[in-house]
Amino acid sequence: MARAVTPQRKVINTALAWGVGLLIFFPILWTILTSFKTEAQAIADPPLFLNFDWTLENYAIVQERSDYMRFLWNSVIIAGGSTLLGIVIAVPAAWSMAFVPGRWTKDILLWMLSTKMLPAVGVLYPIYLIFIKLGLLDSRGGLVVVLMLINLPIIVWMLYTYFKEIPGEILEAARMDGAGLREELLYVLTPMAIPGIASTVLLNIILAWNEAFWTLNLTAAKAAPLTAFIASYSSPEGLFYAKLSAASTMAIAPILILGWFSQKQLVRGLTFGAVK
Amino acid sequence: MARWFETHLPKIVLAPSFIAVLIFVYGFIGWTAWVSLTRSKLLPKYEIVGFIQYDRLFASPRWDTAMTNLYIFGGMFIVISMVLGLILAILLDQQIRVEGAIRTIYLYPMALSMIVTGTAWKWILNPGLGVQAMVQGWGFENFKFDWLVNPDMAIYTIVLAAIWQSSGFVMALFLAGLRSVDTEIIRAAQIDGIPTWRVYTAIIIPSMAPIFLSAFIVLAHLAIKSFDLVIALTGGGPGYATDLPATYMYAMAFSRGDVGQAASSAMIMMLVIFIIVVPYLYSELRAKND
Repeated sequence: MARAVTPQRKVINTALAWGVGLLIFFPILWTILTSFKTEAQAIADPPLFLNFDWTLENYAIVQERSDYMRFLWNSVIIAGGSTLLGIVIAVPAAWSMAFVPGRWTKDILLWMLSTKMLPAVGVLYPIYLIFIKLGLLDSRGGLVVVLMLINLPIIVWMLYTYFKEIPGEILEAARMDGAGLREELLYVLTPMAIPGIASTVLLNIILAWNEAFWTLNLTAAKAAPLTAFIASYSSPEGLFYAKLSAASTMAIAPILILGWFSQKQLVRGLTFGAVK
Repeated sequence: MARWFETHLPKIVLAPSFIAVLIFVYGFIGWTAWVSLTRSKLLPKYEIVGFIQYDRLFASPRWDTAMTNLYIFGGMFIVISMVLGLILAILLDQQIRVEGAIRTIYLYPMALSMIVTGTAWKWILNPGLGVQAMVQGWGFENFKFDWLVNPDMAIYTIVLAAIWQSSGFVMALFLAGLRSVDTEIIRAAQIDGIPTWRVYTAIIIPSMAPIFLSAFIVLAHLAIKSFDLVIALTGGGPGYATDLPATYMYAMAFSRGDVGQAASSAMIMMLVIFIIVVPYLYSELRAKND
């Protein structure tokens, strides 16, 4: 709602909005701060805010004891692999629905999206059995395929909403100039589709990076990504807050940084295209 | 041949996604439905015996707790997230400085894995370390905030963390809605001297009805699927006080070796989601085909 706001109100509103922002950010901030404390300072009573001896020892210990790099590498491969595979399958599908819509296009699209709402538990056990049969349990390849399938409807949907924004007249103009299907795809559509594909990739990497249900259920020691690593780390309750915070900080840092530098894509992606 | 290929290409390239979703979702749900009608225990059996798994499920006190928790958790989570989301959206719509950055901060909880952000929540909610210890340290010796370890209150810690995770997301949806309201009507109302709160309650909010419905659907299905939150904060405990249907199913399938119970509980969850989602999809489709 656009309307005049007095400068005074504006300052109050801005302060209020940032206050709420700080409140929302507090748990994340606290994790980051705690990761630089010693274990004793992490559970100090009363809690220490900034007046503690900053240390990097937690990061060194986490790396040394648990081979953090291996979990990070698993996360990168699983998130990156499932995203790439998904994009390869979804781009043609989204292209087809956005530019050559048929009678059932809208229905197919909504139907696909609706499957994303179904609970993963409904398909967990059969997949678990198939994984055992094929020897895919605790393998990165298996997880790449499952996460791709889980997120495929979202990828198709996001790409579709982006492709829809490319004006059809441009394609017609290209066709008038004698461009065949190949030229049309390669020289006209691809350059215009790149930003949409990039945002979809970002969203899907975030979704796959955060995935916990499937990674906890289908991996053990070998293929476990960061989410499974954090979940396993937190079992001896309360003893290792500083180290757990260090591991958590390392797990969320890529998303925090990636999200900050692509705010628009983050907002649009997380709201499934509702906010442009 | 080349001509045929070009005219049918759209269908050919759509097929892999279509078939993948069809088999992956419906094929496997079909399997789960089948197994829910058998005597499967540690391993799946395929001889259909009827609804005994459902009888056992409805007689189980643990399932009863999980469903009661779902009602408490789902109800509070949906209502409070929507109210907070709306208030935040109205606040952010007042020409705030650096709005882009603040929107991102509000959305961070949704962008980060709850398994990871749960670390901080466990500290905040821990009676010996977090909020309780801090307030007691200020001299309020009798202050108590021990929900995390109190079986009657533990479910509310999950509500709290879930609201923290989602209100920024609901805010973003509502903000988009507020911006899409016709400014002419609002200006006309202001010229007529109608007070701002009346403009909101009588004009703006009613015109956002479709967004309320979308937000409700998204939040409702998130509530029913909730798994990460419980695993991150309480692991279902104390005892099974904070079990939700998804964690119940998980416990049955992987730690209790009761595949039949897992399958039947999954089918009930599926049914609840269908009841919520299908009417919504139906109305969406009708709106789009008109």
